[in-house]
Amino acid sequence: MTDPDIERKLIEIMRIISESEKPVGARNIADELNTRGYNIGERAVRYHLRILDERGFTEKHGYAGRTITKHGTEELKEALITDRLGYVINRIDELIYLTDYDLYTKKGKVIVNLSYINENEIDDALNIMKDVASLGIGISPKIKIFDEGNDDNVIVPKDKICIATMCSITFDGLLLKNGIPVEPYYGGILKIENNVPINYSDLISYHGTSIDPIKIFMSRKSTSVLDVMETGTGSVLSNIRYIPSSAKEKAELIIDKASESDILGAIRVGNSGEELFGAPADIGKSGIPIFVGVNSIAAVEENGINVTTHPISTIIDYCSMKKI
Amino acid sequence: MQSQGYRLQFTSAKIEDLMYRTTFDPKKEEGDLVVNISVFKEEDAEAILNIFNKTMSSGLTVSSYVKLLESGDTISGYTIEENMIGIATVCSITVDGILLKSGILVKPQFGGLVQIKDGVPTRFTDVLRYESTTIDPLEVLMSQEVTSVSRMLRTGSGKILASLRGAPMIAKDDIESTLADMIDVGISGILEVGEPNSRVLDVNVQRDHFGIAVIGGTNPMAVVQENGYFISINAMSTLLDIDEMQLIDDII
Repeated sequence: MTDPDIERKLIEIMRIISESEKPVGARNIADELNTRGYNIGERAVRYHLRILDERGFTEKHGYAGRTITKHGTEELKEALITDRLGYVINRIDELIYLTDYDLYTKKGKVIVNLSYINENEIDDALNIMKDVASLGIGISPKIKIFDEGNDDNVIVPKDKICIATMCSITFDGLLLKNGIPVEPYYGGILKIENNVPINYSDLISYHGTSIDPIKIFMSRKSTSVLDVMETGTGSVLSNIRYIPSSAKEKAELIIDKASESDILGAIRVGNSGEELFGAPADIGKSGIPIFVGVNSIAAVEENGINVTTHPISTIIDYCSMKKI
Repeated sequence: MQSQGYRLQFTSAKIEDLMYRTTFDPKKEEGDLVVNISVFKEEDAEAILNIFNKTMSSGLTVSSYVKLLESGDTISGYTIEENMIGIATVCSITVDGILLKSGILVKPQFGGLVQIKDGVPTRFTDVLRYESTTIDPLEVLMSQEVTSVSRMLRTGSGKILASLRGAPMIAKDDIESTLADMIDVGISGILEVGEPNSRVLDVNVQRDHFGIAVIGGTNPMAVVQENGYFISINAMSTLLDIDEMQLIDDII
């Protein structure tokens, strides 16, 4: 292992190269590094690039610049664990900042989850999602479907269809844009009895994991959304965020207003220090538990259909999403 | 309605409780250890026990001491179901408990996946903090199917389960002698001991602390799962007297 500082710069250079579709040259990499707060010149970038080439993480394409190799992509997923421990929450912070949907003009961007499903199973999947949307536990019925070669730069592999579902973190963006300091905190499994939420059976904080909590619960197959649909009793995915209790009323107004735009799923806003469904809360803080959007996708998976989901993926124009 | 007075317990609190209840004394070779109970189908017993034996003899676990439980057996109020077999294996929290009982407070930080290259541990690649989750991190990682412990056994490279704790620098000599006493009685599993104020397996430590990475007691279960057998891990964690346990060699 080399010096941690050099290692960090190497990783940052690889990130820059991996984010570009075309080969990138040392000049552009140096500019981008400066934007990101790394004070490093073109000559030093060339030195670092040689190290990356030697390790087989990047490839040179003549004067055009460099691209990342498969080996390099893997390295990006594994290196700098201390950074990636904060990756989930950093990504959330970035996306809630970018959310600009206006509840009054009904225009702007919201956060979505992207799920990939085989082309031949898409009709079945959509039917199930439709049923879940009508369940009444407040999951937004709006989705967007992408196929190969769409205009939104969403990469869809051949024979797959990508479905965007409304991500519950959109609420955090709305709260932030209305001046409320919001802190998305835990993803969890919420037990439901007779269509009423009872308590969380497990929680994982967005702050202390290198893997997205909702993704963890989905691959643990810990949901039973279909049971909730049939009998009113089962387990669903939910997350919880905290706001200062002084903002409770304002938050309630926003949640109310959001429902006019089909942005649904907020269960209630807690009182100061009130422990909602077993989740801890500090004095002066109010929790807001929300049913997450991928519950409909969890139901599809429970039905035996193969789905790959990336929660909290990207932002898209809300007007382009249609009712299922 | 929402159940009253219900509050979730995070793994960090469960761990402190288990550490406090550990009474094992490596010098006297007596007392209680922290164990995980895993449950598998009776029909798979021979194959699974062979996997346990192989993984344990390669050192990819905390200890080779185990206890088998037959259907109907009860441990700490948990009963093994019909046609199932339970196995109690030593949990890595035992190491923290023993250090605590020798007067050293170590702080378990997280469980994660450690990448091994040609037999050398290189770095953590995925982690979950104990205070951030109500499910044991190593159980979470097993359910993500990201381990490659079998490959590690075959080729010397792969990803195994491990956990990290921070220990005060001032106690380094005491800790090393206690760890040596533990190894003498068959409780090992120390993957890496860092230097004070230096990163260990790519992870920073607190000021004037050093990191100790311990191999997860759940690695044999990960191998069982990677080989396609059903195994339910962490049905519960509890304490067990070492006198009730045997070396896996003596059972097979």
